[in-house]
Amino acid sequence: MKAIRSVSVVLSMVSVFMFSCDKNDAPTADVGVVTTATVKDLTADTILGIAVTGQPYGSGKYTLYSLERNAAVSAADSASNKWDIGFRGTSIITNSGNSGPGVGGAFVFTGLFDDLKTIPSDSTFRVDNAPASYAVPNGSNKGWYVYNAPVNLVTAIPGRVLVIRTGTGKFAKVEILNYYRGGVTPASTASEDDKLRKQRFYTFRFAYQPNGSLKF
Amino acid sequence: MRSANIVFFLILAFTVQAQVPDRRDTMIGRDMQEVVVTATRSERLMGNTSVPVTLISQKMITESGSLRLHDILGEQTGLFITQGFGRGVQMQGLSPDYTLILIDGEPVIGRMGGVLDLSRLTVGNIRKIEIVKGPSSSLYGSEALAGVINIITDGAGVRKLHADIRYGRFNTFDASAEAATRVGKMSLSGFVNSNSTEGYSLLPNSIQKTVEPFWRLTNQFKLGYDFSPATQFRLGIRYNHEDITNSIVVQNLGSQLLSKGSEINRDLNITPTLTHRFNKKVKTSLRGYLSRFASEQNLDVRGELNNYNDRFRQSFSRIENQTDVDFTDRLSMNAGGGMIFESVRSNRYDSLETLRSNQIGYFFIQQEWRALERLTITAGLRYDHNSAYASVWSPKLALQYRMNPTWRLNASAGRGFKAPDFRQLFLNFTNIAAGSYSVFGSLVAADEIMRLQSDGQIDQILPAYGKLSELKPETSTGINLGLQFDPSARWNARINLYRNDIENLILTDIIAYKKNGGQIFSYLNISSAFTQGLELEGNWQVHKQIRVSGGYQLLVTAEKNVLTEISEGKVYKRDISSGLSSRLTRSEYAGLPGRSKHMANLKVFLESSDSRWFANARLIYRSRWGVSDIDGNGIINREDEFAKGYLQANLALGRQLSPVLGIKGGVDNLFNYKDPENLPGMPGANWYLSLSANFLKSKQPSKQ
Repeated sequence: MKAIRSVSVVLSMVSVFMFSCDKNDAPTADVGVVTTATVKDLTADTILGIAVTGQPYGSGKYTLYSLERNAAVSAADSASNKWDIGFRGTSIITNSGNSGPGVGGAFVFTGLFDDLKTIPSDSTFRVDNAPASYAVPNGSNKGWYVYNAPVNLVTAIPGRVLVIRTGTGKFAKVEILNYYRGGVTPASTASEDDKLRKQRFYTFRFAYQPNGSLKF
Repeated sequence: MRSANIVFFLILAFTVQAQVPDRRDTMIGRDMQEVVVTATRSERLMGNTSVPVTLISQKMITESGSLRLHDILGEQTGLFITQGFGRGVQMQGLSPDYTLILIDGEPVIGRMGGVLDLSRLTVGNIRKIEIVKGPSSSLYGSEALAGVINIITDGAGVRKLHADIRYGRFNTFDASAEAATRVGKMSLSGFVNSNSTEGYSLLPNSIQKTVEPFWRLTNQFKLGYDFSPATQFRLGIRYNHEDITNSIVVQNLGSQLLSKGSEINRDLNITPTLTHRFNKKVKTSLRGYLSRFASEQNLDVRGELNNYNDRFRQSFSRIENQTDVDFTDRLSMNAGGGMIFESVRSNRYDSLETLRSNQIGYFFIQQEWRALERLTITAGLRYDHNSAYASVWSPKLALQYRMNPTWRLNASAGRGFKAPDFRQLFLNFTNIAAGSYSVFGSLVAADEIMRLQSDGQIDQILPAYGKLSELKPETSTGINLGLQFDPSARWNARINLYRNDIENLILTDIIAYKKNGGQIFSYLNISSAFTQGLELEGNWQVHKQIRVSGGYQLLVTAEKNVLTEISEGKVYKRDISSGLSSRLTRSEYAGLPGRSKHMANLKVFLESSDSRWFANARLIYRSRWGVSDIDGNGIINREDEFAKGYLQANLALGRQLSPVLGIKGGVDNLFNYKDPENLPGMPGANWYLSLSANFLKSKQPSKQ
């Protein structure tokens, strides 16, 4: 299985922001070192072939990822809180509910990544209840993507931020940028074969707040 | 053809106003003197109508080398021919669903996906086409929301024996024959047209042709009997047959599914009319209309036991009376009413056994009042009472102010509506191949969801489900403001500003999810939109033998809720290179898909002084138009979401070889423009050659 073999995590940008203390905001707990990074071409159960039914198939495994360490996590550690989110095709799981033993969760925020500076304290984090429902709703136009059937392309909806509670209960925000290899969606006129071979390569950016606060 | 126009002109000459100077020496002068019927449902000089009217003469159709209705409409200012469910016409930026198409005053039925395929209609026996822009539901009821296109076919009465054959690229063969005679009080005419092609492929190596081979046959017969000069009977019968070869390749999750078969569309129309003029002031007509449309598609799907089979039968019957009264020479009225019986049987809606029907009762009244020597006011109102959906009132007010013989100001405002169609009410469709989604008509959705729920198939019901209720007709309010400048018989110009506000737009929305992930859609009144812009037209008789005309349309459209969301900062876009999201601004929103902001045409017509030969060049330009959303925000905003604008040049040349025989040839799309994705109906440069024979030279008096 080449599940994680080709994971090439490129840290295109690891910028570390130091948040200075706001005059009125005394608690030092809010001052954290927020990791912001962009992950390119994280494979998510890439297609191995086409079944006789005409359905494409992969290995069926989720690619697990730790936002804290900004690295993929071995499938062997799936029953731990070492991972935060997992990707398989268009499905995204969190280390929560029946997906994992962690204390994770998520919800989809509509707005800009940079505008989400504080997660509202009354936010409700959903947990996974596979296969009926997921913290990040799966399906076209339900969560992070839209599937355009006539041209057979998956597009990340702009202005959608996945607000993540990690496996260990910290907070992060994730924006999926692209679903295709190299971060480039094939042209609508590209061959079906091309569209299938290049899909399930996630490009996403995230910000991780290690100190447990809701601020970025 | 010109003589037919003149005859018509003479018959109705009593409506000519005395102060209008004689302008019949030029085509331009004559156009303004043409009588049109569609704008007011009564004969009016074109220059005297207070709403925007375009007239296409038979001469123009013939010299342009048009075969089907969309050919000639696509060359008119402000009309855009859409491709998808055949060829539809977009008027003032409104979809083909919202333009009423009439043949001799009666509606053509058989819309698919809301579009009436204009390529079903031959132009072979069209005497003229009248196009009225702006809502006209006050006279015509449903569908006349953007406007009305009335195709007026050759009438019986003038003796005629005419035949036409044409051959063109892709083995396109077209033949017509027409005969008309008059025996005492009876007149008879017959017309037959056959049109076929072997089709073409725009994408190399594809099994499926871009345009599949088809054959079309049109027959039309007319009978007239004049009991007396005051009492006349007319009967029209029209039969259309269309046989299209199908060879369809469906991409199903990476695998190809090949289907072979055919599609057959047939329609039959019967129109008996009895008119009686009681006296100089009162005229009445009783019109019957019977129309049937049947469509059948049979596909043999390779490797599947169950072949695809689709049947659709529509029937439209109407009885109507209209009475015209001229109270004084300043005040006239027409009023009428009727009943419509509509029904559909289809296996798309349950089964062929189930008959879905709707009855409509309606009445309308229109008054035209010359309030001042220079001011004419026209007011109209129509009420449509429906059994299957909410009833509608459609008012209209129009006025014309004649500042002097050269300048006229026209203003009109009206309401238009389009009734929910049978598909929106009764569709029951589940696509198992593509994600198992379902579409249910608004009247059957609740029952279907209840059934699925009791089977345990429903995962989630969405808030939109709660909005399912009696579907309201889509309505629009349209305003037109025009200025006509008519300085001489040599040239004229006009400008028209328009705005249409459409409410209760019916769109599909997801109302529930199935447990297998499939979406369930239904039809809801969920949106409102507007279209606005201006139209400019000009004609110039440069020389006795040279005529130039030009037109331009500016069009701006938007969905109103999108505008609200943009102003609230809730619409986002994604940058193509960085992949990052940002807020969208108003100027980036390109409005409704499929609309070109700029459209223009320039035509030059040449004719020898003895009318033995003619030549013309027609240039048609469209700026880019939105195709579909790619960056995921549901609207058209990014460069790669547009189809490219293009310029098309069409040429034609003809010569009369003898009094009987004429020859004509031409090239459409001379620059060989192609866009297989967005313009599948445009196969590149397309040549043709045709021969026509006029065995009976009309004995009608020539002009003047």
